Amino acid sequence: MANRTAIIASNGSMFDAYKVFNIATAAASADYEVTIFFTFEGLNLIHKEAHKNLPMPAGKEHFAEGFQKANVPSIEELAQMAVEMGVKIIACQMTMDVMNLKKEDFIDGIDVGGAMMFLDFAKDANMTLTF
Amino acid sequence: MIKVDQTLDCKGLSCPMPIVRTKKAIDQLEAGQVIEVQATDKGSLADIQGWARNTGHQYLGTTTEGDVLKHYLRKSDPNEVKEETKYPHVIQNEELAQRLTDKENIVVLDVREPAEYAFKRIPGAVSIPLGELEGRLQEIDKNKEVFVVCRTGSRSDMASQLLAENGFENVKNVLPGMSEWNGPEEEGGK
Repeated sequence: MANRTAIIASNGSMFDAYKVFNIATAAASADYEVTIFFTFEGLNLIHKEAHKNLPMPAGKEHFAEGFQKANVPSIEELAQMAVEMGVKIIACQMTMDVMNLKKEDFIDGIDVGGAMMFLDFAKDANMTLTF
Repeated sequence: MIKVDQTLDCKGLSCPMPIVRTKKAIDQLEAGQVIEVQATDKGSLADIQGWARNTGHQYLGTTTEGDVLKHYLRKSDPNEVKEETKYPHVIQNEELAQRLTDKENIVVLDVREPAEYAFKRIPGAVSIPLGELEGRLQEIDKNKEVFVVCRTGSRSDMASQLLAENGFENVKNVLPGMSEWNGPEEEGGK
């Protein structure tokens, strides 16, 4: 069976976004099946507006320059790339309700679902990562 | 210069872009074709090797020019390793290694792609890729014993059959081939 990578993204800073999307796109490149469950602050990483301007963690603002120098792709690009490569993105319904967010607030190509939708994929994954 | 079917420029890109671009490019290639991936990301060396192990594509090697790493990969054919060997006259790697000193009477014919040949080959081996063999038969001495080698014994099997059909009477297919070659070897240059 193909390799499966299940990822939970529950934090919303710029650093978290790169950890999630780098791992996800690299895994998709190697033909792994990838599903990411975005919950709580993690929803920022796929929010149409918020993910264009994610905050640096407190005290780490000076790394902004380093990101530019290293010519790292933007989170917007990485997220779109992930979707194009077949990474399945699940936005947490419960968090969306709490934060009063709608599916239209997020990037195209995502699914909305609950914990069980993620668990159904993760039960057969050979890697489960949380960020 | 190593002959390739496609060159992919990933210079200036950081992880995971060299891998992502390589995947997209190799999806467009035919099995057996070779791609050169140029990158300045130092991490791309280990990444490309790991990627190749996971996807089954063949990592050939890497050269360095200044800050630029050039990774060479060959798109694998899903049937390549499984294909049945049909040419009956075969010889094991170890036996060939012992015969190499008999230069007067033998020819080692390497039918892999030039990029594969460039990174690791049997000393003195003649390089004629399988795809060019039919048009270059006159380059091989019919009076000598010909040992045909590739990576896994599959392309060399086809080459051995082609030689036999064209009047070569003393041809041996070398098994398993370069993938498990432990004998003398050389690399680089031409």
